[in-house]
Amino acid sequence: MRGYTPGQLAAAALIAAFLLAFLAVPVATVVYVAFAEPGGGFTLSHFATFFELALMRESFWNSLYVAAASVVFASLIAVPLAYFTVRFRFHGALIIQTLGVLPLIMPPFVGAVAMQLIFGRSGSVNLLLGEWFGIGLPIMEGLNGVIFVEALHYFPFILMNLVVAMGNIDASMEESAQNLGASGWRLFRRIVFPLAMPGYVAGASLVFVKVFDDLGTPLVLNVTNMLAPQAYLRITSVGIEDPIGYVIGVLLIGFSLFALWAAALALRGRDYATLQRGGSSLAMRALKPWQAAAAYAWIALVLLLVLSPHLGILLLSLGTVWSFSVVPDGFTLQHYATVFQDSPRMIGNTLAYCGLAALIDVVLATAIAYLILRTRLPLRGSLDLVASAALAIPGVVLAIGYLRTFRGVEIPFSGELVTSSWLLIVIAYSIRRLPYALRSCMAALTQLHVSLEEAAENLGATKRRTLQRIVVPLMMGGILAGFVTSFMTAAVELSATIMLTTSQSLAPMSYGIYLYMQSAAGRGPGAALGVLAVAIVALGTHLSHRFMRSRAVDLDRQL
Amino acid sequence: MTKARVEAHGIAVRYGRTVVLRDINLAVEPGEFFALLGPSGSGKSTLLRLVAGFVEAHAGRLLIGGVDVSGVPPWRRDVGMVFQNYALWPHMTVRENVAFGLEERRLPAPAVADKVRAALGLVNLLDYAERRPSQLSGGQQQRVALARTIAVEPKVLLLDEPLSNLDAKLRIRMREELRALQRKLGITTIFVTHDQEEAMTTADRIAVMDQGVIQQVGTAAQIFDEPSNRFVASFVGSVNLLPADSLLAQDLRLAQHPRTADVVIRPHTIAIARAPGDPGRRWVAGTVADREFLGALIRYAVTVGESRLIAEAPHRVGGESHRVGDVVYIGLDPAQARLLNSSVGGEP
Repeated sequence: MRGYTPGQLAAAALIAAFLLAFLAVPVATVVYVAFAEPGGGFTLSHFATFFELALMRESFWNSLYVAAASVVFASLIAVPLAYFTVRFRFHGALIIQTLGVLPLIMPPFVGAVAMQLIFGRSGSVNLLLGEWFGIGLPIMEGLNGVIFVEALHYFPFILMNLVVAMGNIDASMEESAQNLGASGWRLFRRIVFPLAMPGYVAGASLVFVKVFDDLGTPLVLNVTNMLAPQAYLRITSVGIEDPIGYVIGVLLIGFSLFALWAAALALRGRDYATLQRGGSSLAMRALKPWQAAAAYAWIALVLLLVLSPHLGILLLSLGTVWSFSVVPDGFTLQHYATVFQDSPRMIGNTLAYCGLAALIDVVLATAIAYLILRTRLPLRGSLDLVASAALAIPGVVLAIGYLRTFRGVEIPFSGELVTSSWLLIVIAYSIRRLPYALRSCMAALTQLHVSLEEAAENLGATKRRTLQRIVVPLMMGGILAGFVTSFMTAAVELSATIMLTTSQSLAPMSYGIYLYMQSAAGRGPGAALGVLAVAIVALGTHLSHRFMRSRAVDLDRQL
Repeated sequence: MTKARVEAHGIAVRYGRTVVLRDINLAVEPGEFFALLGPSGSGKSTLLRLVAGFVEAHAGRLLIGGVDVSGVPPWRRDVGMVFQNYALWPHMTVRENVAFGLEERRLPAPAVADKVRAALGLVNLLDYAERRPSQLSGGQQQRVALARTIAVEPKVLLLDEPLSNLDAKLRIRMREELRALQRKLGITTIFVTHDQEEAMTTADRIAVMDQGVIQQVGTAAQIFDEPSNRFVASFVGSVNLLPADSLLAQDLRLAQHPRTADVVIRPHTIAIARAPGDPGRRWVAGTVADREFLGALIRYAVTVGESRLIAEAPHRVGGESHRVGDVVYIGLDPAQARLLNSSVGGEP
């Protein structure tokens, strides 16, 4: 049995060509340049140069330190929250659900400026502390600021993974431990946490990678002695020929891959799907009054911290002047007017680029999911592998790869350079968001029992008709969720955007926010644009949750 | 509806190195209700999927209505399959589900509507046409699946454990409905089940399968009374298997060919009493080692020398009953004992 049709083979070839041209080749180019002598030939001299530069060594350690410290702080926030939700019966569950989403809808580079104004040296908190106690907290000083902002932004990755993992622990696991004499802290340490470990490691490794690769937050906070900002600065100031930028690219990819690989290795054979069929998850306990008070206090504190960038950016967008004061001096809608006057084009660009990129993503993701799960095409697994590998490629590196690979390439007929068009921005968005859309589509198709398709074939529908009438309609929830996720995360992408945007007229909102934030006068309009971006993302999140929910209901009814 | 004959000649199927079916030879007569009976992993579902076209054979030929269908894709085979989980499409109403196959055959809309109505009428679900599958009970879903399949008037009807998802009472009713419907339509039907009672009560003939091999083909009475090997004897009904060279078998002069054979004795043919009775039986003394009260029957395990025999005695209020440890006589009827040639079939 051959197991595939010519049409499927052609689709696979097209997808492979796209991934090759816009992911594999650009990344390979970056790696090649980092290891190539000017005349060709292999060399490690660029790496030697890199480590000879004090600034580079410092950046390297700073990046590692910031990523690791962010994981630690994110864990401190997330682990107790996850434990409260799964373990105790109390009204905070909904708040925690909300806490899991709120930070993610605010891109960290947008929130960073607001955080500066609230927690910075002359920000609201330190002004109040100074007034009342005569002290100041260096929360936003240098690397501290980056760690603070990143941990607050990315802790939901750990929270969500941990809640799912703990929710999957079968009550009988805990009960048998209690039956054998374990309780309290020992029960948590020896049974509950080890069983939830896969979820924690998955979340923590993701946080590490995200922080390590982030360009926008350090740039906005004016911290340049880290790897991603250095790569950006080298390429934009020294030039596309400078090998140091490529060396940094290789280091960024290397550490991302290493973190993901280490997580996979740590988890191998340990992803115990512990919830038995028909089993129940961990028993919920009622809180004692003092426990409830402690839990609520912790949640309130986290909620306050999590909401501070949102609140800050809103105040900033509505404030007249906000400097050396706890809150802005006065309020105005002028910044919104400025934004709509100056940059309606940016909003339009964002909608167009992200819509197009999300469309490319769901078409590719649906096709890849189908090819992998429903055909016996040789090497089909590698499509998934390559598409998912985009997770480990930082936006900066992908952008450097594009600029180098497509240098001098003209768009047919128009004669315009590819590197100065909007084309690469859209493609970069779609490549970087493809893994999310792919997971969403794979999940949707995995949940579809194959007999639903066989029944259609049995009744006379060809593969193509079955795809059209059965598979795609039934996957629609997952496809829409994938579209929305791609769209909204692309809307706040900065690291590739900042490098690939060549002119104001082609700039999307994220670039506009960054530009505005460069000057004190631009902060107001920048914040207003940020509020609009957050509104778009929030709307998208809401929609995707609705799609997922209606989808889940459908599947519940199905069997 | 046309009645087609289904024939398999030397069919073999492998998944990688695992042999799933080997040397399957089978002929299902036109209009016959034929059951494939076997434990899970016996290859019965694979054989059914092979007929539907979802599995391809590595060797052998499959003929439907005299035509070799190897290489014909599922959508052009014209065999209707009812899936174990019904596989009703959740995004379509009952009517849309049933109409699907007819639309794919490019029938004009009025003809589709007529046939959908006829099919739903046949399974008494006309009133449910606008509902979604999720709003139906298990039994109703199963009837929709059946209606969807027979609406396209296939040459062969394939049923993959169609009753396994229903509760015990409903299963018996659906079994009768299924049989009645099949008689009415006269369609060649192949029915996969692991439940011997289901197979014996519904099918005209049964193929007993194990480890990818057809062990025996015959009517229910044939495979029960004349099992061709140990596997069939023990899978269909409960059974005592005595090695023909055992002392008990020799004592009772049940075996003519020692060493090469087993003696099969069904527990319900063995009498159990405090003292030898009916002289037509061979009586031998033993000790009750265990007993299970089953309501209509009492099942005794009796130790006779080195052998252990299962005997089932009908139970009546006030009837004779024995306790564990009692010395009893068991009476075997040579006419009910069957000799099995153990070199044929069974454990490969």
